[in-house]
Amino acid sequence: MLAQGPIMLSIDILVNALVTGILLGSVYAALALGLAITFGILHIPNIAHPTLVIAGAFFVYTLAQWGVDPILAALVGLVPFYLLGVALYLFYSRLFERRGGANVLQSLTLFFGLSLVIEILLALSFGSELKSVNVFYIGSSLRLGILTIPYRLLIPALLAPVMIGAVWLYLSRTNTGTAIRAVAHEERALSIAGLNPASIKRHAFGIATATAVVAGAALIMVGPIEPFSGRFQIGRVFAIVVLAGMGSIPGSLVIAIVIGISEALVSSYLNPSWSPGVAFAILLLGLALRPQGLFGAAR
Amino acid sequence: MNRLIIDNLSAGYGAVSVLRNVSLELNEGEMVALLGMNGNGKSTLLNCVLGFVRASAGRILLEWNGKSRDLTRLQPHEIVRLGLSIVPEGRRLVPNISVEDNLKLAGSNPVVRDRMTQNLSYCFDTFPLLLERRRQIASTMSGGQQQLLAIARSLMTLPKIVVIDEPSVGLAPIVVRDVLAAIEHLRAKSGMTILMAEQSFFQAIDVSSRAYILAHGSIQREFRRSEGEIAHEDIRKAMLGGVIQH
Repeated sequence: MLAQGPIMLSIDILVNALVTGILLGSVYAALALGLAITFGILHIPNIAHPTLVIAGAFFVYTLAQWGVDPILAALVGLVPFYLLGVALYLFYSRLFERRGGANVLQSLTLFFGLSLVIEILLALSFGSELKSVNVFYIGSSLRLGILTIPYRLLIPALLAPVMIGAVWLYLSRTNTGTAIRAVAHEERALSIAGLNPASIKRHAFGIATATAVVAGAALIMVGPIEPFSGRFQIGRVFAIVVLAGMGSIPGSLVIAIVIGISEALVSSYLNPSWSPGVAFAILLLGLALRPQGLFGAAR
Repeated sequence: MNRLIIDNLSAGYGAVSVLRNVSLELNEGEMVALLGMNGNGKSTLLNCVLGFVRASAGRILLEWNGKSRDLTRLQPHEIVRLGLSIVPEGRRLVPNISVEDNLKLAGSNPVVRDRMTQNLSYCFDTFPLLLERRRQIASTMSGGQQQLLAIARSLMTLPKIVVIDEPSVGLAPIVVRDVLAAIEHLRAKSGMTILMAEQSFFQAIDVSSRAYILAHGSIQREFRRSEGEIAHEDIRKAMLGGVIQH
């Protein structure tokens, strides 16, 4: 009888950690989706993506102040963020691609700078305090036996696979999707097809940026954010995209969930301060076993 | 008369000039060979026609249905939409997608996408091998099969003129025969206008009505198939850039 208490407690912790991990992983996958397109498919190291997600979160926050539901706000933000992505791509390609291509270091520097500019603009407009959204479902939890799932985690976690599924269907089932997947592999194949590679890339970058506003909505529902919150996500999202295998979007969902579960287990059983390192530990291990990424095609 | 005119074209890469004052003509329904040894400018000329290499001087005129367009300032995808297509050196297929997706990609530009289904079945009719392998990933096929796919793909954009860059390069001799047979079959079936660059001139002249010899970046000689039989020595000399006797 005496021994049962701690065992029950640890099963309780384990189950909750697993479920929280799955849900958190799903949100990470939403954050990584844009990068899976820009970096994984187009090979543009868009280090500013997590900051764009934060910008998306602030967009959602602003509309939420007017009483708009965060998910609805994210849908409203799709077109403006698509256009923002198109503008960013034009800026990037003007600077680099027309002069015969950018090297990775130059692109990284550009997107790092862009990321700083966006962060500072956000800090100037919104201040640097933590911001959150208040919706009726955010304070409460779903209880299933020993399991407690807060709605603020459940709803974003359900939103993410819907968005990822929609993007994946678009990329794998439409001709424009095929063109997007082809453009980094063989740009000339697009020209030969009578398609403009530059406009395909611009469109893809627009879609990637549009996903940032949905990811931003998910993130601000999970917890409060401030203009510099994106920095904590950079390592994790790159780890997800690289480990999934460049360009494998379903793979990135799986990896994000693996990372989410591992982080939840590490913070429950070891120490929460270890959890930021988990993604990299998994990345190093994964790449040692399969250098092309777990879901990437062998080359 | 429908035709493509290359008029005093010069081109190069940076400071290196590759083509000097090249002029040639391609009439509707003709198959013309562009012969020359490696490094004499054949690929540069074809890439210039498609807009992948910019001309430094001269014009490329597409005269079709009473309209005349200069192609030298257009981008490759615009040239393709006007009705030129290319089977490029190295094929340039998208390696990681299926045969069918490679064809569909080429058939998806706004000018031709309404006819995608017809174009796809035309390709599969013409090359039944591709129908059998339509779900196969392009890079897993043999070189000859990939070459057939590249040829089929060039048809998906509904071209008036197909430009083929060294279809035999890197292929085993027996496969070269198959590929050239496929090109000839295509020409016979569709009456397609074709400009084909080749190194192996005896094989090329068998399927062409005329040939130009390109050496050192300029046209050394033009001859018709009927002359091909009697002029071996001249052809050899011209291909090596030798003096032309009249």
